[in-house]
Amino acid sequence: MSALPALQTPSVNGVFTSDAFASHLAAVGHLPAWWLDLKRAAWDRFGALPLPGRTDELWRFSTVAGIKLNRCTLAETPDAGFPIPPAVFPCAATLAFLNNRALAGEALSPELGKQGVIFCPIEEAVVHHAELFQSHFMAQAVNLGSEKFAALNAALTRGGAFLYVPRGVEIETPFVVHHVAAGDGAAVFPHTLAILEDTAKATLVENFLSTDPAGAGFAAGVNDLFAGPGAQLTYVGVQNWSRDTLAFQLNSTVVQRDARVLSLNVHLGGRQARHESHSRLQGPGAFSEMLALTVAQGEQEFDQRTLQSHQAPNTGSNLLYKNALLDRARTIFSGLIIVDPEAQKTDAYQSNRNLLLSDEAESNALPGLEIQANDVRCTHGATSGHVDAEQMFYLESRGIAPSAARELLVFGFFEEVLAKLENEALRSVLRESIKANLKT
Amino acid sequence: MSQITDSDTLTTAAVEETAASSVAGIDQTAGDFKYDVKYDFDAGSGLSERTVRYISDVKKEDQWIRDFRLNALRTFLARPLPTHWATRDLENINFDKIRYYLSQGTKPKRTWDEVPADIKMTFERLGVPEQERRFLAGVEAQFDSEAAYSNIKDAVSKQGVIFLNSSEALRTHPEIFRRWFGKVIPTGDNKFSALNSAVFSGGSFIYVPPGVKVLHPLQAYFRINAENFGQFERTLIIVDEGSELTYMEGCTAPKFSTSTLHSAVVELVALKGAKIQYITVQNWAPNVYNLVTKRGLAHEEAEIKWIDCNIGSRLTMKYPGVVLKGRKSRGEVISIALANDGQHQDTGAKMVHAADETTSSIVAKSISVGQGRSTYRGLVHIPRHLKGCKNNTECDALLINTNSRTDTYPAITVRGQDHAVQHEASVSKVSDEMIFYMQSRGLTEAQAMSLAVNGFVNDLVSQFPMEYSVELKRLIDLEMEGSVG
Amino acid sequence: MSQLIIQDLKVSIGDKPVVKGLSLTVNQGEVHAIMGPNGTGKSTLAKAIAGHPDYAITGGDVLLDGQSVLAMQPDERARAGLFLAFQYPSEVPGVTIANFVRAALQARLGESADLDATSYYKKLYEKMDLLKIDRKFTSRAVNEGFSGGEKKRCEILQMAMLEPKFSMMDETDSGLDIDALRIVADGVNKLRTGQLGIVLITHYQRLLNYIVPDFVHVMYDGRIVRSGNKDLAVELEARGYAWVKKELAAASA
Repeated sequence: MSALPALQTPSVNGVFTSDAFASHLAAVGHLPAWWLDLKRAAWDRFGALPLPGRTDELWRFSTVAGIKLNRCTLAETPDAGFPIPPAVFPCAATLAFLNNRALAGEALSPELGKQGVIFCPIEEAVVHHAELFQSHFMAQAVNLGSEKFAALNAALTRGGAFLYVPRGVEIETPFVVHHVAAGDGAAVFPHTLAILEDTAKATLVENFLSTDPAGAGFAAGVNDLFAGPGAQLTYVGVQNWSRDTLAFQLNSTVVQRDARVLSLNVHLGGRQARHESHSRLQGPGAFSEMLALTVAQGEQEFDQRTLQSHQAPNTGSNLLYKNALLDRARTIFSGLIIVDPEAQKTDAYQSNRNLLLSDEAESNALPGLEIQANDVRCTHGATSGHVDAEQMFYLESRGIAPSAARELLVFGFFEEVLAKLENEALRSVLRESIKANLKT
Repeated sequence: MSQITDSDTLTTAAVEETAASSVAGIDQTAGDFKYDVKYDFDAGSGLSERTVRYISDVKKEDQWIRDFRLNALRTFLARPLPTHWATRDLENINFDKIRYYLSQGTKPKRTWDEVPADIKMTFERLGVPEQERRFLAGVEAQFDSEAAYSNIKDAVSKQGVIFLNSSEALRTHPEIFRRWFGKVIPTGDNKFSALNSAVFSGGSFIYVPPGVKVLHPLQAYFRINAENFGQFERTLIIVDEGSELTYMEGCTAPKFSTSTLHSAVVELVALKGAKIQYITVQNWAPNVYNLVTKRGLAHEEAEIKWIDCNIGSRLTMKYPGVVLKGRKSRGEVISIALANDGQHQDTGAKMVHAADETTSSIVAKSISVGQGRSTYRGLVHIPRHLKGCKNNTECDALLINTNSRTDTYPAITVRGQDHAVQHEASVSKVSDEMIFYMQSRGLTEAQAMSLAVNGFVNDLVSQFPMEYSVELKRLIDLEMEGSVG
Repeated sequence: MSQLIIQDLKVSIGDKPVVKGLSLTVNQGEVHAIMGPNGTGKSTLAKAIAGHPDYAITGGDVLLDGQSVLAMQPDERARAGLFLAFQYPSEVPGVTIANFVRAALQARLGESADLDATSYYKKLYEKMDLLKIDRKFTSRAVNEGFSGGEKKRCEILQMAMLEPKFSMMDETDSGLDIDALRIVADGVNKLRTGQLGIVLITHYQRLLNYIVPDFVHVMYDGRIVRSGNKDLAVELEARGYAWVKKELAAASA
């Protein structure tokens, strides 16, 4: 305990001081030793890594000056009175976390329990499913620039869900996780680990929200999805942090032979929100669909970094990121497809579409390819454009007000992505979230 | 003039005979020879203030340009290599081993008969005088650091067109030179533009007066002859209102076992309504580091088009750009790169929109053969408060062998709702079915592959002047030899 | 006199035998039609003879003027005088027909001699006129964006220019309307000067109304099961392939 390394300078790591970490460790002291060791190691990494710099290629175009770790607090003050958002569609089970601490959720049905399905807070998983959990916890390197924040998450995380679906079990209704940040300056560290064994099927929905939509906040989330051979996983994340949150969300997806993963991230909240998503296609027939929708408004900055790693032959991936930009908002999309020399017959696609709706909005696109196998189909495209004047006129000529017409066209722009979700109830919830957000 | 080192012992190899019958600069085997040359001026190896002063002394330069050079040297030394985004192969350049200035004198000759025999032989063998007779309006031929020959046809010079070696123009036309020099590409633009600014020598200076359309191309030919040499030509082209110019450059060097550096800076200025087409066909030997900065400034309704064809070299880093400064100006880059075994073509384009209704277009095609690596790097920038800008970018990569590599790294920034920007890239290989189809017509697999590669770039090559497109095809055939089987 | 002899040829795709011992002799100037139901190995036969790498020859031989071609690369076979008119010709983007055919002819000359451009174009235009192909076609990329009929005419044009000894025409009639079929057939008939041997592979008798064969062979399950003259094709059209199958079943019973 006393061997904690000194931080480079107190100001760089802000509120994340050695004292803060010591009190965090004390609070989780009842948990297994391996888990605490793991946290200490992560804390060391966090301390050793620098903040992103201006010339760091992985942070090109990002407002790195906005990354300050002193506008939040580590005090854990669960507000017991906060209600879990009511389920608006049938769920398999629900978990909720308020400022990193688990609230009571809607439990897993005994039937699913009997089939061996596990869905519990990570602090239960480290005790009751230690071996399974440990073998997959942060097993995939975070390598798109936010290593420091991944380490911070591992050091300080308490809130998050562990989902395990055994071989052959198929569950149609979604598992839902709510991560709630309460109070001004709350710092949260959501962590999700989902493991689907061979041919299992499941849907996982995560909501990220703040009780005070205008309060300051800090979030460093990590999410690891693991789809075994032939598994089918659908993941939906809806990020709706307060408009003054500095947010990092670092997702990793492993797709094994013949497995299919669809992930859709909807980005609405935050002041400056960085999202990294890395799909690793590790077995022949693996396929990953990576989707994102962003409504960027006010002074928001959304910074999205993606990597499609094709590590085995005959793998496929399809990325479609759509951003609607209003006001003075900025978006950055930086995507890379890497095809390893042995990954012949890869079929990979990457597309970033930006719809600019104001004179001050700014989109940045960095669509990249690194191809080391020749028998592949790889394409990428990026466009930045505006609402079609002819379409606007057409709608207006039918008596639709310009603002409503614009909203309709934005939804039309998003619909291509939403249509890829099979679950209609989920689709309409997402439409509502986006609509509500556009109006605020 | 005394030399600052005693290293004038030039280990010039005996002439290596190869059959050469092509247009200058294209066929690499045609460029792989060298004649014995005695240099009168030699700055020795390594780079210091002394080297820079030596160059200024040889050229009898004014104080302002001396200051400019020394200032640039400080910038160069202070800047790190850009390896945070570029290849670490740059670290293998030994700046202390390079010879920064070698010449037989600073005054280029106006007729080939006056050119010293040893240098004249080189250019004759590369076919430069013959081309000049056939289809060029003027030629400048640079041998290591200085132009050996520079001439413009009477008809063109009577129109008021100035076509000189840069060092000469600096002396004879300081008023125009100084006005534009270093304005499009500032010294500190990057480490290598700073290096060029410190030690530049040679290159072309062209001024086309208002309303003059130069019908035939002007051409420069850059020849590296000495081992461990660095060539740093500086080209400045100003085309005045409503005028038009096509400029072509070709480059070769013999193969050496040690590395050679070519680091040019090319600045173009197209004034209102002017059109500049700048064509490069370079075919460097595989030991050359080719690190070049090229940029044009397009005023109102002006048009700048770069046609850039990169073959050979160990590492080429070159991203021709256009700053679209005037309303309705247009920028275009057409880029072809072929990376063979051990070569890295890191090429692309930059389009900086700085006025309303500006349009830009980039078409880049690359071919990677064997373990060759081609990289596209692009930048499209549309800042705030502009209206009606457009960019269209297409990048296509062709991978010939299973171990060939290609990368694409574009960066596109668009601010505001009144622009249309589109980027598309694809990667493909030559399909087995296509090869079989061609074989079934009697072509060997290698011939079929060559034909497929030529087909891949055909739409771009057809925009080259005829003499170049024919030779480019031959060169591709040559590069494709041994790529299959 | 030139002769193409196919001797007890056996061809597999992967592990699956497709051509199971087929023999056929074609003399210079003769037109042989091979008919048969789908999936019987007709196209496999043609592609295997042309040397397609996906088809493994597991037995027998193919002799062109007494020389086995099986050890030859596809391009060597082509230069030796074999031609395949493809059922689905490949697109060659960016390479014009004129340049393509020229490259193919140059390959026959070798590096020592250069093709004479003037006489080349003269001949190309002559053959195009013969096949009623618009001269603008020469500057279009091979098969790129061509209609079905244009592709087939482009195949015949290449055949006319390359002057093979033997041509295997694989389903040249497929995908053609009657007008296009007539133009293609006219073109082929004009090339029947007694020099060229043709193996015409087709599913339908229709084509044989326009290109009248000297011999008709019925192929079934990887073998030639019946041979005759042009009347066989008519009979086959009238009675259907089921008739052949029935006869075969009866014979083997």
